[in-house]
Amino acid sequence: MELFFQQLINGLSLGALYALIAVGYTVVYGIVQLINFAHGEIFMVGAFGAFGTWMILGQPKDWSVAASLFILLPLMLLGGIVTSVAVALLTERFAYRPLRNAPRLAPLITAIGVSVFLQEFVRLFYGRIPGFPDAKSAIAFPAIPGISGESIQVGGVLIQMPAVFTIGALAVSTVFLWYFVNRTKTGRAMIATSQDADTARLMGIDVDKVIVAAFGVGAGLAAIAGVAHGLSYGNIDFRMGFLAGLKAFTAAVLGGIGNINGAVVGGLVLGIVEAMATTFIPGQFGSSAWKDVWAFVLLILVLVFRPQGLLGAKVVDRA
Amino acid sequence: MTQVTSGVGHHVDASTLLLEAAHVTMRFGGLTAVNDVSLNVHAGEIFGLIGPNGAGKTTFFNCLTGLYKPTSGEVRFAGAVLPPQPRLVVRAGMARTFQNIRLFHNMTALENVMVGMYSRTKTNAIDAVFRLPRHRREEKESTERARELLDFVGLTGAADMLSRNLPYGDQRRLEIARALATDPKLLLLDEPTAGMNPQETRQAEELIFKIRDLGLAVLVIEHDMRFIFNLCDRVACLVRGAVLVEGVGAVVQNDPRVIEAYIGAPAEELPAPQVGQPGANPGEGIADA
Amino acid sequence: MRVIISDQTKVQYRYPARAVGILGAVMVIVSIFLPWSYGQGALDDVGFTGAPSPLQMFVVILPVLVLVLLAIPLVGKQRLGKVAKVVAWNTSAKTASIATLVTVTIALAAIAIELKGLANVEIGGWLALIGAALAALATPFLPDSPEPTLERVKSPKWAQIVGIAVMMAAVLFAAAFALNQTDAGAFLTYLAFLVGVVLVLRQFGVMGWIGIAGANNNRVLVMSAFIVAFAFPFTQDGSDANMSIASQVLIFAAAALGLNIVVGLVGLLDLGYIAFLGAGAFTAAVLSESAFSTIDFHPPFIVTVLIAGAVSSLLGLLIGAPTLRVSGDYLAIVTLAFGEIFRITMNNLDGNDGPNVTNGSNGISGIPELNFFGFDFGEVHTILGVEIGRFANYYWLMLVVIALIIVVFMNLNYSRIGRGWVAIREDELAAEAMGVNTFALKLLAFAGGAFLAGVAGAVKAHHDVSVTPDQYVFLESAFLLAAVVLGGMGTVVGVLIGATILKLLPEKLRFFSDYRLLLFGLLMVIMMQFRPEGIIADERRQLEFHAEDEELAEEIEEELITHHAHLNPERKGFEL
Repeated sequence: MELFFQQLINGLSLGALYALIAVGYTVVYGIVQLINFAHGEIFMVGAFGAFGTWMILGQPKDWSVAASLFILLPLMLLGGIVTSVAVALLTERFAYRPLRNAPRLAPLITAIGVSVFLQEFVRLFYGRIPGFPDAKSAIAFPAIPGISGESIQVGGVLIQMPAVFTIGALAVSTVFLWYFVNRTKTGRAMIATSQDADTARLMGIDVDKVIVAAFGVGAGLAAIAGVAHGLSYGNIDFRMGFLAGLKAFTAAVLGGIGNINGAVVGGLVLGIVEAMATTFIPGQFGSSAWKDVWAFVLLILVLVFRPQGLLGAKVVDRA
Repeated sequence: MTQVTSGVGHHVDASTLLLEAAHVTMRFGGLTAVNDVSLNVHAGEIFGLIGPNGAGKTTFFNCLTGLYKPTSGEVRFAGAVLPPQPRLVVRAGMARTFQNIRLFHNMTALENVMVGMYSRTKTNAIDAVFRLPRHRREEKESTERARELLDFVGLTGAADMLSRNLPYGDQRRLEIARALATDPKLLLLDEPTAGMNPQETRQAEELIFKIRDLGLAVLVIEHDMRFIFNLCDRVACLVRGAVLVEGVGAVVQNDPRVIEAYIGAPAEELPAPQVGQPGANPGEGIADA
Repeated sequence: MRVIISDQTKVQYRYPARAVGILGAVMVIVSIFLPWSYGQGALDDVGFTGAPSPLQMFVVILPVLVLVLLAIPLVGKQRLGKVAKVVAWNTSAKTASIATLVTVTIALAAIAIELKGLANVEIGGWLALIGAALAALATPFLPDSPEPTLERVKSPKWAQIVGIAVMMAAVLFAAAFALNQTDAGAFLTYLAFLVGVVLVLRQFGVMGWIGIAGANNNRVLVMSAFIVAFAFPFTQDGSDANMSIASQVLIFAAAALGLNIVVGLVGLLDLGYIAFLGAGAFTAAVLSESAFSTIDFHPPFIVTVLIAGAVSSLLGLLIGAPTLRVSGDYLAIVTLAFGEIFRITMNNLDGNDGPNVTNGSNGISGIPELNFFGFDFGEVHTILGVEIGRFANYYWLMLVVIALIIVVFMNLNYSRIGRGWVAIREDELAAEAMGVNTFALKLLAFAGGAFLAGVAGAVKAHHDVSVTPDQYVFLESAFLLAAVVLGGMGTVVGVLIGATILKLLPEKLRFFSDYRLLLFGLLMVIMMQFRPEGIIADERRQLEFHAEDEELAEEIEEELITHHAHLNPERKGFEL
């Protein structure tokens, strides 16, 4: 039973990471019906942005716990968010926007190109910034006193502090997102646009602005996920966006793509399934080497049996 | 002017029941777009479906052609229940056009019509790759037949034009030719004269008579009352998802309720209103989305 | 950026412009008899006086073209009669001058980089640069010639066939020379020269004429292309290094052509295509007589190929059946996931995390050479006095595989099936409503594409001798997609060109290998923005990507009606 709860916590922490990224896929898809393949790279860029902020701050190593939690970490998050949002908006403006009326294939291929480009750009040029480490292999993410390496014991279950941070970040983000979507003008415009872009435009909604907002919100959350990833795994890597992006997309489909709540639920479910699979599938196929396979098998099963996702999507369009 | 020499002509027995729609209801969430509609179309007749905007005409069409699966009710065609899949409906012998023209824009007129023949041809991948006799025979036959159909609808000479370059009226005719290529027994036309000038409308009328003379039944949706009463043997008026009146043209035309439905009328004589505004009917237009 | 020179100015300056242009061209021609560089280390030695290097002999063709194009109208336009009116003299002279300038600039830049400093450029180089610059500056002042109409001139059949043959011979010669360039600078200079010549010929009207000749003599064109490709190993003098590149290009091109069925014809984005190639390769490896093979069944290769194709297409069905019912967008990501599943699974089937099938990340090595009726692919054979090495053997085999794929591609495209695919691309719902079985057609393309990849993979396994999971990763799929996008979705020639460029450039330009992927990512983005239809455009694809371009639609339609061959389904495909 303890093992079950331990894996549940591990799964929730992993799932929270997926959920934070999945929101970006779902919001953008809901509005422009584009699978933004490059979103995984936005997550990666966010982690590197946060790391860069830490470098610029002079690689602080001996700040107190309070200073680290309330000054350093927020600054790093901010740095990550700014980087991710900037990159996301640039790609939207220069890569996707000119293709808005093009056949579906064009933006999809562009997204692949952007994804490869961003990975390679970070790999080749991150280390060229004076003083920055070479990014051709993994970089150790800075330890934040009070989080890194810390853990709390609840009953027989050991909860790592980075996991607490990740789950907490998801909780805060979800509340923020709920407020943004339901209570702000831009958020409501987003809902309207996702239901019917043409009508929304006729109603005076600036659809361009809404699309920018969607990319921005998604990128911001992905950056938070980037920091959470750095804290949880202790290092970041230019390749980290590929698999995480793929998993997050799976989560978005699982929850019902286009459905924001669905992305959160889908992320958590996927994380838990992965954690449980490595523990409770007997024999060789239960080894952690297979966990990604199970995640993708889940994706395919969802598409077969419930293509609208767990919570139901907008529409699975037939045309 | 041109005679279609093969295929389309069916033996007509006007008493044969072709399409039987029984108690068809289509709900979208809380909205009832089509409410308990029953209609019969006989072989060889022209049947008109009129009704104000948002009355559920197109939704009903979509129920007939397999784009929607009706919430309840049954559609039978030539005695058999229609499968709820567009391509199987086509195989069964029902073809349609769209309210907003949906041609394959970057294909030539000829190719558009040849796509219509897909369900009546059998060439498979092996035939095509090895250029087996079936491929050659069917290609030849399809091309000839497509040219005949283009002639029939009055598009002689437009065979190699891209459909997107055709004038509007010609695009409508091409859609009809494409539908005829599926070799239907019943042709469903969704507002065939929308956006046409009086002269084009008259030509469309002639074309529909010509199609009927081949032995096909035609089910037409229209707004244009004059067009429909000129054309149709029988007419049904659909209001707020339900059949208000059905009968021969003259009867429907003079029914005060129909006139009221169009001009706006006191509510008590109309069928019970459904949830939501008729104008916000989600079913209308989904086929165009 | 285009500087517009008014027509009036052009008329005013046409004589001095022509004179300066001729002077510039002559300067470049003279320059090749002078040394271009101090020292012999650049561009395979261009430092001789009086004896131009082979590269210079090629490059000089461009200024000679400038000279001819400028001089003939002066001396003999009347005598040429009708022909002179249907080609574009001035504009092609302009293109040739600019191409000369670009080529010379690249050559000098290469000298400067390779010999570390501009100081190493010698008098001949400077003379060439100045001459090219003069010509490039002067020729834009010539009045524009009307669009060439050479393709409308009726020419006898024998002339068309000779034209095709000459073009094919030129292609063979150009390819052989390109592959022999070992120096990156020389390769780039040569490439600039080739592109320049093609552009000039297009501008002049020759390409249009060849295009029509090719369309009229489809079979001659295809046969001669095949003969040229077949003859290629004889130009390589037994060089295994070059044939190794050539055979790799063919394997890559075969896979790209298979992917082109899925992406180009049906418009489905398959991002895990490399996995199907991998499935074929692993199947062939396991069924081979390698010491590392894990099962005890070793059929002859012809059976293995079919099994490999079947395994791949089975996987295609497995992935396609659930996803093709929903939206096409999902397919892209599911195939991406499938690619990962494949890679991970091949890694895990190592006897440790799963049953031992593939030896995990070590893969299966020591795959024996193919042997067809005693013809050992691993041995050197001497044919017509030329040594034909191991890679040339595989090259020929791949040529057969590619021919097979092209036949499948074309014959499906121009058939009932192909029309259904176009209809799906244009409007899937309308296609379904017209009776097209869209699901079955998509599945056919998907599984069929997988089958062809499996076949190519089976040959690749023997070609590579070993098969490991890390050869079949997502980036390889992206790379294949880039070849399709760059070359031109839905075309055969385009994708062959795209695949050749993408595979050859990194081989020849080692210095940029680290930036390879960065540039390919960028390339895909840029292509989608500015030329989504690719280098060679499929007409229908071009129309789809430029839905609002009415002029283009009129243009293509006109072509269609006059030639009646291009989009017309009854005319294309190979009779077998």
